[in-house]
Amino acid sequence: MLSPDLAIIGGGPAGISLALALADTKLNILLLESGGMNFDPQNQKLYTGSQSGQHYIALDAGRLRFLGGSTNHWGGWCRPMDEIDFEQRDWMPHSGWPFPRKALDSYYPRAQKLVEAGPWLYDKAGVATASLGAPLKLGDGGVYTSWFQFSKTRDSNLPTYFGHRYEDDLKRAPRVKPLLHANVTGIRLTKDGQRVDHMDVVTLNGKHFTVKPRVTVLACGGMENVRLLLASNDVMANGIGNQNDLVGRFFADNPIPRDVATLVSFAGPLAPYYGENLAMTNGPIVQATFAPNNAFRRARKVSASLTTVEQPVELDETGKAAVITTALALGADASNAKVYSLGCGMELLPDPERRLTLTDEKDALGLPRLKLSMRIANADFSLYHDTLKELGRQLLTAGTGMLKITRRENWSENMDWGNHHLGTTRMHADPKQGVVNADSQVHGVSNLYVAGSSVFPTYSASNPTLNLIALTLRLADHLKKVVA
Amino acid sequence: MTFFKAQNPQGGPSRRNLIAGIGAAGAAIAAGLYRFTDLFVKHYPPTPYDDVLVALSDREQAVKLGALVSDAPAPPALAAKLRLAFKPDLTAAAKADAASGRLTEVGGWVVPESVALLSALAAKA
Repeated sequence: MLSPDLAIIGGGPAGISLALALADTKLNILLLESGGMNFDPQNQKLYTGSQSGQHYIALDAGRLRFLGGSTNHWGGWCRPMDEIDFEQRDWMPHSGWPFPRKALDSYYPRAQKLVEAGPWLYDKAGVATASLGAPLKLGDGGVYTSWFQFSKTRDSNLPTYFGHRYEDDLKRAPRVKPLLHANVTGIRLTKDGQRVDHMDVVTLNGKHFTVKPRVTVLACGGMENVRLLLASNDVMANGIGNQNDLVGRFFADNPIPRDVATLVSFAGPLAPYYGENLAMTNGPIVQATFAPNNAFRRARKVSASLTTVEQPVELDETGKAAVITTALALGADASNAKVYSLGCGMELLPDPERRLTLTDEKDALGLPRLKLSMRIANADFSLYHDTLKELGRQLLTAGTGMLKITRRENWSENMDWGNHHLGTTRMHADPKQGVVNADSQVHGVSNLYVAGSSVFPTYSASNPTLNLIALTLRLADHLKKVVA
Repeated sequence: MTFFKAQNPQGGPSRRNLIAGIGAAGAAIAAGLYRFTDLFVKHYPPTPYDDVLVALSDREQAVKLGALVSDAPAPPALAAKLRLAFKPDLTAAAKADAASGRLTEVGGWVVPESVALLSALAAKA
């Protein structure tokens, strides 16, 4: 039996960031990772599950089960969430975090270092990229050129794979013990259900052992966190933290419908930073998008869904007629016009019926497999349509271009997913509305916490990794106070 | 006495008159082609709405766009609405539409309402 001060279940970006953030404390930390250092098909198979409703990526395809977790296949996109992402909005049921964005402000710089995305520029990147051409001029309104930065490993453009990047740091930390090939199959509570007593751990080759920590942090991702909580039902019949039937509900991802619109730039090619991520000399990698600003989102009640420039395309005869007629009417010169297809990084509205549940089927370790009931609401699409139309309006007022919105039915046909597993152990001060409280502690279980994007109660269109790491660093500060 | 100074000694027209004649004939032919054919400018049958349609610099393209406008009023009402809108001109009307969010989606294209209606009129006229 192992008796660390802190057991972290899951060696993805949240688990590794938490271990590193607490490495200089006096806490003995055990980091339990199911996989090894590299992909193993047998281990990956533990993720297999089923699904119904809206077509979605297979449950064992959108995540990776070895040290570093899903950073082993991430694209490195980073962008902090906006103020409004944290606000309760009357028009968006179930929205709002129990604290404002400023509660994370002091953690973002450290999160930025961990993802290795370079100096903090984001919406100031336009100044740094001025020599490459001006951003597309838009009229006053609700959409603006907003910037992503990209994680990169040193001397290459690949994103930071947390396992390989931080393996040595974890090994060097005297009080951190990373344990690979260690699968937690049960979180066992005390009889009163108010504390974690111990955990059952199993390896794929049949070794069993027990871990009895003072404090446990669950950091297995938005799907596996649910599986462990629901399957650990020996004391709490509905599963841990599930007294209000919330664990597994509100599952979300960021859909990426392709070819949602066509943008015409009257004056010719857009600056190169719109269509690709661009490495600046001795600086960060950046890419520009079109995002709704906070004021527009509040006034027009739209989601955070943003627009990316994809690739150059050609106009058909109707398109040429639309461009010629409109440009002439506006007194604009479109003789050098360039045309691009646009994609979307979509934010879904919180939906309790989009959920993960357990099935009767078991995996090789005896844990019930998951089933995902997936759906997208009409409102998810229509809110984004409003933002696209605003972008079209601003192009016309500036006289710099115009927009064609593709038929909405086609959006679903060209849909990718971000593989961002969000919301399934949502954070809320009220136990009837959330699985964890504002400190990420599971309601009713004093020494069990959840780290990662599964606690996001509303999701944003910013990729979650940078944000979940900032949130994890905040949790580390909390644990320093209550455990150390 | 010489009555026909311009005549050359061989009795034909002078070189100057010949050139002037060819020039005049060429101009007449060009004017004819311009007026009665679509070689230089597309001609359309006269309509009661030509005072409005004249705002279109390329009516042929507008017809293609206007064919996609689904719920435009009948031409007389459409023209009446546009006469009011075009103060002072189409460019001003189009810009004002965009600024105030009066937009129409025509086959997915987000265009100022005045442009959509004028194109619809061109298609229907």
